[in-house]
Amino acid sequence: MPLSIRHYISLLVVPILLLLTLGYSLIAWSSFPLNFSHLYAYLFHFDNTSIEQQILATTRIPRLLTGMLIGTNLAVAGVLMQGLTRNPLASPSVLGINSGAACFIALSSIGIHILGDVSSLLAAAVGGVVSGGLVILLGGFFSDRANPLKLVLAGIAINALLIGITRAAVILADERAYSVITWLSGSLANIDWQDWQSLWPTSLLGLLIAFYVAKNLNLLALGNDIAVSLGINIGFTRFLSCIAIVLLTASSVAVVGPIGFIGLIVPHIARRLVNNNFLLLIPVSALIGSCLIAWADSLARGIAFPAETPVGVITALIGTPFFVYLTIRNKMS
Amino acid sequence: MKTMKLPSLYFFILSSLVLLFAITSLFVGASDISIADIIHTLFEQGEYDFIINQYRLPRIFLALGVGAGLGLSGALIQGVIRNPLASPDLMGISAGAGLAATTLLVFYAAAPVYLLLLTALSGGLIAAAIILFIAYKTRPTPMRLALIGIAISTFLSSGIDFLMIVNPIEINTAMVWLTGSLWGRNWTQVPLIWGTLAVIIPFAFWLAWRLDVMGLGEDCATSLGIRPSKLQLMALLTAVILASISVAVAGTIAFIGLLAPHLARMLFGHHHKYLIPSSALLGGLMLIIADTLARGLQPPLELPAGVLTSLIGAPYFIFLLQRYKAW
Repeated sequence: MPLSIRHYISLLVVPILLLLTLGYSLIAWSSFPLNFSHLYAYLFHFDNTSIEQQILATTRIPRLLTGMLIGTNLAVAGVLMQGLTRNPLASPSVLGINSGAACFIALSSIGIHILGDVSSLLAAAVGGVVSGGLVILLGGFFSDRANPLKLVLAGIAINALLIGITRAAVILADERAYSVITWLSGSLANIDWQDWQSLWPTSLLGLLIAFYVAKNLNLLALGNDIAVSLGINIGFTRFLSCIAIVLLTASSVAVVGPIGFIGLIVPHIARRLVNNNFLLLIPVSALIGSCLIAWADSLARGIAFPAETPVGVITALIGTPFFVYLTIRNKMS
Repeated sequence: MKTMKLPSLYFFILSSLVLLFAITSLFVGASDISIADIIHTLFEQGEYDFIINQYRLPRIFLALGVGAGLGLSGALIQGVIRNPLASPDLMGISAGAGLAATTLLVFYAAAPVYLLLLTALSGGLIAAAIILFIAYKTRPTPMRLALIGIAISTFLSSGIDFLMIVNPIEINTAMVWLTGSLWGRNWTQVPLIWGTLAVIIPFAFWLAWRLDVMGLGEDCATSLGIRPSKLQLMALLTAVILASISVAVAGTIAFIGLLAPHLARMLFGHHHKYLIPSSALLGGLMLIIADTLARGLQPPLELPAGVLTSLIGAPYFIFLLQRYKAW
């Protein structure tokens, strides 16, 4: 499908917005004043002795990079899920994958090892698969007349269940309620380079798979029959997409906890910009997702400065009205 | 219409169950107190006066009152909206009341009780007004209405989260309050919920007959001298008042407002004459069981009762979804 002027303009605007975001998010709302000259100095002649540049190097840069990669992950996972289920309300948080991953991490961190002694990433992946599978099964996705609302409501119920388990487990295990409530809301406050190291390999793998299936998803959108006649292996495409979704979501939740609604909102914005072509939809969603989370994180830092607000609370406050709007607007089923 | 054979027998069983669990609840807690000591303390104070009379006893009354309020509220809402998934917590009313109450407590910690009640009530009313406005404008299917309600509820509870995190005065207490708990309550809250119930239960019976007539169809109801819109408004208002005051007392306790009326309907059929008292009884029963478990599972640690109710309620909600056929 040919791109109109509007698309080219929006494709130009998005990167500019991204650059602005980068700069702003790096220096704004610091308890130690930073400005653009420090950023410039850090980039072009790094001075080991300057405190400002050290702050940038050890906290701000990893925080921004990790946040943006997580925004990318969640947005791309949302695109894949909405494409796969053909349900405009599907996203990692709505279909319970986020809270499943969070629940299993919480369980394994308090000593209930469901699979023996595993890393938090593996626990998150297993949790995401289990809860996502439950939601899809209970939501009747495989029945003859799959109803989009049923899928979403099943997701919400599983969410409530998993959050209940997580809270109970954590309260019973110890009384550090504050750190738990912060982590459960999804916070970027204590990110360092180590988190980035544990995040990027899985994310990269997930993103590569997502790009690989993009073309097949385009054809799948034409309908199952047409896709089969064009030589697409539907089962394999779905399987790969699910792998990508789990990798992207689980790695994000393992690092920062569940951050909701990015995966829901971003694909809708991206679809406005570049229509339904997954080859463009995935990169554009990735850009918008990372922008959105960088802005949300700046807001999270600034809104009750100098205290930190979990970024997940901010995205929920932005995301739920959007969800209501989508529910009202979409004449589904 | 399904009716059961022995309503009085069921009511007798239910009431005795409530009584039984209320008494059991006296014995459960962090400190082991013998039966003789408890009986002794109840009638003529003694060594354990504080634990029994000031701590466990008021909690029993609160659990019964709050549970009854939530169950009743759910029965009224489901009766008016005729939506099996409607309940004060799924419609955002509980979260609205919770957000308003939290806001008040954050900015004015020493607020007198009546002010807290009024604030919670206005929060619940505003949330109810928003969702009814959306429902009126868009005429959603029952499922979509539930979805909108849940989304509004999520929005309001992330507002609560936000306030709690930005003002971490006593986050442990706050965390427990968030998911709904009877921890740290005492006699001062008892008259609030029971006073409300004392006014509302007779009124609910008055509504019950009219709601049954409404079930025959709006034309029929009009010809029998009932104005449907006025009746619906009154019933909803009652439901909102009950839910808001329950929240002001015990925080947001999920799923009781959904479950209690459903169970009541299974036992007693569709007559509101039976449905209203039985929902109240079942709600009270559920909350007292949840609260006893919350206290007794791993003493001295205290689970929020709301966590336990959502562990039972969420699977039941899924069961409802599986059974619901009118997509």
